[in-house]
Amino acid sequence: MRTKINALLTILLIFVTTVSCNDYLDLRPEDGIVRDEFWKTKEDIQAAVVGIYSSLLKSPPVVKVPTGGTDYTLSETLFMFGEFRADMVSPGGFVTPDQRDITTSNILSSNDLTSWAVLYRVINYCNTVIELAPGVLKTDPTLTQKQLDNYLSEALAIRAYLYFTLARTFKDAPLKLTATLSDTDNFQLASSTQNQIFEQVAKDLELAEKYAVSSYGNTAYDKGRVTVYAINAMQADLYLWMEKYPDALAAATKVTNSGRFALIPMSGSWFSRVFAQGNSSESIFEFQFSTTNLNPFYDMLFQRPEFVASQTVLEDVFGVDFADANNVDKRGDRCSLIAGTNEIYKFTGLNNSERKSLQEADTHWFVYRYADVMLLKAEALAEMGQGDEALKIIKEIRDTRGAIKLTEQVVDPTNKADVIDYILAERARELAFEGKRWFDVLRNARKNNYERKELMINMALVNAPADQQQSIMAKLQDPNSHYLPINEYDLYTNKALVQNPFYK
Amino acid sequence: MKRSLVLNRLMRLTLVVFLTLAFVNCTSEKIKEFTDQTLNVTDYLKDNDDYSMFLEMLEVTNYASFMNTYGTYTVFVPNNEAVKKYLSDVGAATVKDVPIEDLKEIVKLHILDQVVATTDFTDGKIATPSQQGQFLITGAANIAGVSSITVNKTSNITASNVIVGNGIIHVIDKVLRVADKTLAKSIEADPNLSLFTEALKATGWYDALDKPLGTATVTTTTGGTTTTTTTKIGHLSVLTQTNEVFKAAGINSLADLKAKYSHLNDPMNPADSLNLFVSYRILPKLQYLADLAVSQSIETKAPLEVISVKLAAGTILLNEETFNGVLEKGVVVNRGLSDVTASNGVIHSVDQNFFIKKRIPAPVYFDLGDQPEFRQLTSVFRKPGTSAALKKELFKDVTWDGSDALNYVCATKGSSSYQDRAWNGDIIEIFRFRTNNTQNLKFKTPVIIKGKYKIWVSYRWKGTKNPTVRTYFNGIALPRLVNFQEQATNTINERVLESQGYKSHISPFTNRFNCRLVGIVDVLTTGRHTITFESLSNPGDTAWMDVVEFRPVDMDQLYPRLESGGSGLVP
Repeated sequence: MRTKINALLTILLIFVTTVSCNDYLDLRPEDGIVRDEFWKTKEDIQAAVVGIYSSLLKSPPVVKVPTGGTDYTLSETLFMFGEFRADMVSPGGFVTPDQRDITTSNILSSNDLTSWAVLYRVINYCNTVIELAPGVLKTDPTLTQKQLDNYLSEALAIRAYLYFTLARTFKDAPLKLTATLSDTDNFQLASSTQNQIFEQVAKDLELAEKYAVSSYGNTAYDKGRVTVYAINAMQADLYLWMEKYPDALAAATKVTNSGRFALIPMSGSWFSRVFAQGNSSESIFEFQFSTTNLNPFYDMLFQRPEFVASQTVLEDVFGVDFADANNVDKRGDRCSLIAGTNEIYKFTGLNNSERKSLQEADTHWFVYRYADVMLLKAEALAEMGQGDEALKIIKEIRDTRGAIKLTEQVVDPTNKADVIDYILAERARELAFEGKRWFDVLRNARKNNYERKELMINMALVNAPADQQQSIMAKLQDPNSHYLPINEYDLYTNKALVQNPFYK
Repeated sequence: MKRSLVLNRLMRLTLVVFLTLAFVNCTSEKIKEFTDQTLNVTDYLKDNDDYSMFLEMLEVTNYASFMNTYGTYTVFVPNNEAVKKYLSDVGAATVKDVPIEDLKEIVKLHILDQVVATTDFTDGKIATPSQQGQFLITGAANIAGVSSITVNKTSNITASNVIVGNGIIHVIDKVLRVADKTLAKSIEADPNLSLFTEALKATGWYDALDKPLGTATVTTTTGGTTTTTTTKIGHLSVLTQTNEVFKAAGINSLADLKAKYSHLNDPMNPADSLNLFVSYRILPKLQYLADLAVSQSIETKAPLEVISVKLAAGTILLNEETFNGVLEKGVVVNRGLSDVTASNGVIHSVDQNFFIKKRIPAPVYFDLGDQPEFRQLTSVFRKPGTSAALKKELFKDVTWDGSDALNYVCATKGSSSYQDRAWNGDIIEIFRFRTNNTQNLKFKTPVIIKGKYKIWVSYRWKGTKNPTVRTYFNGIALPRLVNFQEQATNTINERVLESQGYKSHISPFTNRFNCRLVGIVDVLTTGRHTITFESLSNPGDTAWMDVVEFRPVDMDQLYPRLESGGSGLVP
């Protein structure tokens, strides 16, 4: 009897140990795809690349800000980084205390707006494509090397642009060039210096330029996806920051010589063609908001305005002819802003007389326009001593736009500082509220070891509240104050980061 | 055999049980008694070696336990190096060698009883005085390319906004010193101000500037608890000028000064021009440059005379006016020599000689909520979503009959009550504007230059149960009544409305706020006057008032409008 039981038990034991329940215990997520099921076909790569563009427009729904603050989209963040410390934008009625503190240079590391999460989120999407897309060549025979290269150029370019923005805003930031694929990845990355980031961006853009597409065959793609001209525009901007003027000039000339872009002459429909509809012949790269993916500026600048144009913009930037009401710079009133209420109009207007409705608020975010690249070229020319060529470009833009005589400056082409000042003033008119102002002034102030630091101080004087003016001026004397601090949450999670020494 | 086996088993069981009980015992449950483990100030200082000397100072003066209690404090903690430098300055070897009274004053100077983060710092004084009574001034300075936030001009903040359980800590690299010289003695101590000192002595103002501060005590009893608030009063601000400035105006000695200005030849006489010369340079209250920069005109000790202030780029100009199309250039305030704190005031310096100017009437927009008592509540004043109620006894410039408190409301942005649309976003709220609650509400106006003015009173409309109010200026009743139940309209042309005595005082328009012309007054003297509001009805609901505008009769009564929800003017 006992041996029978023993034998039965042994058979049972052998049975259990040799038959495994491998698949039974293997749980796969029911609402997502795991990595080894993805990255198999070229459509997968395309989906991932489109995902990158989509993340430029809005954040994924499950995103939560760790500190409980507002999750601003990338375009709002780019707008704020480029404008709120500069002189063209003032706090509006619904400005948050965090935003107001930044406008008065009272920036603490606990300020939610110093979080770089939204930029790194998109960088990770780019890194994922860059790292995992080449593997598809093995599994999908219909994917050509050229097609793969084109996709890689888009991911590289967008990643480069975001790192460029990080370096301009925070000065030093960690360079993560590999995708975050598992929890075991090392997140304790130390910051790279601004110059190191610029070098990496230059490398990425060069590679992207080799792989890039010159046209996708239709306008929406050409303006909404990265083409070789968008990359050249980014290079022109980057090389000016790196003070490599011949390289900047070469990159900008590639765009101006391409024959693909032209300034549209000023008329009653100029605003609606260039801004309200977008994707015009003046555009190089725009975030493609649409009626199914509305832009965030309708709320931020119109319904509950967090920012309005400064009081001085209409008169000092665009010029007001008090004698003749018809003599106006058409880029000013009812294009960039509305006179009187100082509401920023560029992203909410339908045409020169009416605004878009909420359901139609789909104005794009303009990353690079042709006029921008022309003025970058002018800046490079001015820095290389060719002041008269630079002035010619400014004149061409002014004539096409119908700028008024009040804002015309008579400049000696050999006086570099004056030519640069004129370029800065024209950029303020042309690219008002497009997230460029702060970076333009900072780029010119820091040239040659902060030779023209007074540009920053004078800009601060315009908007500084009367009882904080002296403190703001004293703070801006320290070049480290021109950059934002690292958010305290990021310092808490990444122990390898060191805070910007100005923010004690 | 069986029996012993059973017994054995039982014994074994009992043995096992006893052994388990012996070695496994119940430890008492550790209950966490704190909901928050954040350290308070004293504990935080104990935790950090670099603040040990300041901790010693707290312990010697018996303030250590006080700084560990819950509350809202701001503490400027000097690090050890700072304290060592202070000790060598006063010639003491250790903290215990410093006289206890001095140490107490120093420690009290570093503590404020409200939480003030660096985001609330301005170029001038922190709104709350230190426990010692003197105000601390803040700013920023750039030394060798590195900018830091400064306190009292010379101490740099090395670590800011450290949040602790009972407040906030800022670490400074220099001990703050109590200003112990009076204005008169400070001015006398400066050889460059010798001529100014002589002028002070000759006109008798030296003694006024040498007087120490007085204290005002206000005792209020609410429901059994008596609270006494003491404030220091008698601060003065002085605009001095150096001997060089006098020389540039051709005045080299007291005799020259007397010859130029003293027309009655009796400088002690308040009506004498030399006396006026000095009194025109003495401003009441503690006004740092940041306070001057935000005021349009400042009262002086010269009777009926004011100085106008303009901020041009970074420079403060006094008395710069365009009069009849001609620009009268103003006097530049020397920032480097200004903001010198004395024990009873502050000293500034100007770069040019100046004298009393004839003034033309200028508009005064009197925001009723802008009272110093409300301003002191830094977490409430002009912070959306907050309000405060203060009793009559606490106000200096406001009084009324009745037992109710006066409320200050700064509504949340976008509030459905539209109360955030007022100028500066704030309004005063009167619970029941009637006898026995709040009646005969009297305000002291800001300085109004003599001339003829139209007075406009703005209020937030309510359809029912709101008062009809009569206005009195300096006790004289004004002809038109304000009916708070009259709603604003923009369907009638604004100039026609103006001729009927109505307007919208804010831009953009909202029909929730209306503004009424109450009358025309002849202001006989430049200075502060009183405006009283008497309710003629018996309303059952709350009333709100925004701004009282005094506009010169020849000025455009509609423009500029006041910015709705903001602090500017809309042309």
